[in-house]
Amino acid sequence: MLGLPEKIRIEIDYEKCGEKGKIDPRECCRCLRVCDPAVFIMHETVGLEQDPIDPQYWRITPVWNSLCTKCMKCVEVCPEGAIRVW
Amino acid sequence: MVCNWCTKHGAGKKWYMNAKNYSNELADELRAKEYLTEQWTNFEQVYIRKIMGISSIDLGYKLKLPIIGRVLRWQAERMIHSESKNRNPRRADGHFGQVVPLEEAKVILGNLAAEPIIENYCMCRWMQRGIKERCCINFGVLSTVIERLPRFIPENNTARISREEAMERIEEHNRRGYVASVWFQPVPYINAICSCENPECGGLRLRRDFGLHTVYKSEYVMSVDADKCQACGMCVHRCQFGAIRLVPSLGRAIVDPKVCWGCGVCRHSCTHDALGLMPREDVPIARGRY
Ligand code: SF4
Ligand code: SF4
Ligand code: SF4
Ligand code: SF4
Ligand code: SF4
Repeated sequence: MLGLPEKIRIEIDYEKCGEKGKIDPRECCRCLRVCDPAVFIMHETVGLEQDPIDPQYWRITPVWNSLCTKCMKCVEVCPEGAIRVW
Repeated sequence: MVCNWCTKHGAGKKWYMNAKNYSNELADELRAKEYLTEQWTNFEQVYIRKIMGISSIDLGYKLKLPIIGRVLRWQAERMIHSESKNRNPRRADGHFGQVVPLEEAKVILGNLAAEPIIENYCMCRWMQRGIKERCCINFGVLSTVIERLPRFIPENNTARISREEAMERIEEHNRRGYVASVWFQPVPYINAICSCENPECGGLRLRRDFGLHTVYKSEYVMSVDADKCQACGMCVHRCQFGAIRLVPSLGRAIVDPKVCWGCGVCRHSCTHDALGLMPREDVPIARGRY
């Protein structure tokens, strides 16, 4: 669209990684580490009932999308195929 | 005179050299304990949560939007530097820092920092890379807040360190190539010396990639002694900011003072005593560019 910057889309399937998935991101972290510009953030899942002092449910969220180089390394490294970049 | 924050909170010195900014009285007055408990319990959510309807998710895109981008930038700068009474800890209002060279970080830890002093896991490396590295030195009220949060504290709570240990640790981190920085949270209360790296550090990220003033450059810039430099190039590997490089035709290293953060870290790799910091204010092109 005219005048709008390019948008890079990155999506995590939380059915695969996160509080509902089979992987706890804290145990994996592969996407966090393979990404040169550090696009992803790991954080406790918001909106769930959990201990704020020692939260047990975690997620990955792509935050710095504009810095993504579309190298696709995260997609390749994810053992669950949970990441999509387009 | 140095930056605006020194004028406001430095009592004639640099802001981080003013003992008052470290005091428990100031912490009480600012109700820092409540602010910090709220901020730190929710630390990893700071970019995820919506603030006035907008989160930091894809901030780069949002900042480039016509009109909205400019409003967003203005709002973000206001939050970062907020001194208002009803600051919101969940969005880290009034939380910003400045890079300091090792000598000054040691003066802070040796003389100014309020006890207890702890060294905990860096939360930026944790949330950005899932790496637990003990390199964040916190003090005063903030220590007692972080000690309650298991994810930032080594097992068996061995986080507390003495002043002397703190000075040794900051030196180790600095020699490793990490950049020392001192933090207001919330301004003007000071309670942390970090050892940051690019691009993991959230403060450096927001400043370098998005131009927000979450962290200021130091009061210095690096200078190369042309007679002493042997063009070994060791300093070049150390710089996290790409500010120093070898110029083959000259046979020596040069610094770009517009790019240099004055962290002093490159000095650790020079065995020819060719690198020294100069006050930023003495270098016309770097003056005022904090
Ligand atoms: S595509 Fe590459 S740059 Fe983009 S998020 Fe994945 S690893 Fe990072
Ligand atoms: S690589 Fe895949 S499974 Fe591993 S933390 Fe990232 S999204 Fe989850
Ligand atoms: S500011 Fe620096 S040391 Fe502190 S938590 Fe962030 S990266 Fe780690
Ligand atoms: S050149 Fe400047 S920014 Fe780079 S390491 Fe040296 S002092 Fe730090
Ligand atoms: S480390 Fe020292 S001697 Fe070597 S290139 Fe840098 S300034 Fe010159």
